[in-house]
Amino acid sequence: MSPCDEYSLKALRYLDDRLHGQELDDFRAHLEACSNCRASLESERFLSQLLHRSRPLYSAPPALRARVAAAVEQRSASIGARENSYERLLRIVGSGFADPVRPVARLRLLAATLAVTALVLAFVPNAVRQVRAANYVETAVTTHRSYLDGHLALGIRSDSAAEVTSWFTGKVPFQFRLPQSTEGGVPIYQLAGASLVSYRGSPAALLIYEKQKERISLLVASSQSAVVAGGEEVRSGALMFHYRTDQGFKVVTWSNHGLSYALVSSVSGSARESCMVCHQSMADRQNFQSDR
Amino acid sequence: MQLRPSNGHTPPTIDLQECLDGLYSYALVLSRNQAEAEDLVQETCLRALRAMEKLRPDSNVKSWLFTILRNIWLNQLRQRKTAPDMVELDTSEYVANRAVDSSRDPYAAYVSDLEGEQVRNAIEQLPFEFREVILLREYEVLSYEEIAEMLRCPVGTVMSRLARARSKLRDLLLATAVGGSGTKDESTGNCQRQSFCR
Repeated sequence: MSPCDEYSLKALRYLDDRLHGQELDDFRAHLEACSNCRASLESERFLSQLLHRSRPLYSAPPALRARVAAAVEQRSASIGARENSYERLLRIVGSGFADPVRPVARLRLLAATLAVTALVLAFVPNAVRQVRAANYVETAVTTHRSYLDGHLALGIRSDSAAEVTSWFTGKVPFQFRLPQSTEGGVPIYQLAGASLVSYRGSPAALLIYEKQKERISLLVASSQSAVVAGGEEVRSGALMFHYRTDQGFKVVTWSNHGLSYALVSSVSGSARESCMVCHQSMADRQNFQSDR
Repeated sequence: MQLRPSNGHTPPTIDLQECLDGLYSYALVLSRNQAEAEDLVQETCLRALRAMEKLRPDSNVKSWLFTILRNIWLNQLRQRKTAPDMVELDTSEYVANRAVDSSRDPYAAYVSDLEGEQVRNAIEQLPFEFREVILLREYEVLSYEEIAEMLRCPVGTVMSRLARARSKLRDLLLATAVGGSGTKDESTGNCQRQSFCR
């Protein structure tokens, strides 16, 4: 085996940052002196880039995606059905209660939580809106309709993204920040306010946007409980968007960074236009504007 | 499409939708048959959903899913006691899938698809062991150690197999437009072409 053969075997480890110390120094020194090995290394680097550009090797067919989504939905529903009320409450009030080795402490905490919950519900009946619905889309549409019909009062009325973001702190089991306009001009969709709704026993964030007489709602929940699936699937980068019409409303759902989103509107144009709610002040806004 | 087991501890999150392209690609590399690949992926997901409550918090979910798929395939092979089907892939469905993505620049999309098609054609010509290690390492970015555990072989074997697979793949790509129109210098083993040896 020639020295070049030996270094050729090390080229992949070098590209993977797996050469260290003296071995790395020796490899670099050899590269300085050997044009063949430099060319070989570049060849390996080019092949890696070519393979990475062609990811994924194959795309799963939509029918397969739908079947797997249905299986996940079914599994998710069966897990929910198996949980009794006690377990469900434990889940709602936090993982700190789910310590299996401290049942007495857990019961005390549970009793205290029940008392606090009863007080909250007695004095602040609209603190959490419980919406009975089978799935995330249905919840989003039902909530949107309740708001349109005047049956759902907003917990906060404000057009300030910072105020609304701050209002949600500690109210939902996840952290998020509303996008703020970084450019001048009047936004097309105005933030109107927000509220809390309950989805499968866990608080979810409801955001309301307005444009003249149009109302758009955005329901945000943890992806652990809110499963996004079905509809017409459109991939954009790493995200998969699901478009559908439900009870006369346009619904777009997607998941990202552990959160599931459902955007409900009766916007007459393309469904993509409703994405302007969040993207109106972003650099990619032209991707969502109507061609009309 | 995320699921989290409800067994008390803090387990890793399973996002099957995110893993689906990778699982389907691996299933196609193993079976070389679209219908069989779809069945393999679906069965993998069903078994994963049933078994996820047993998953340890520190488990590598991706590697776990790929191992399930491989075991199902090996069991099916044993049951059939036949060699793997060698049905050629029909790439039309792949093209159709990509066609619905209207957000990309048409020319860039065309070039990208052409290049991807040539890479896929070259990979399909590789022997089974080479196809598998290329998919697991270059596309799914599993570590050498994870691949070794999956394939039940030493890490050194994975590394040398990958090196040979890449060399063979490079030779196959030399014959296509992906790598340009150069030739390989047999005396040095290096390619004399723009793309691979710029």
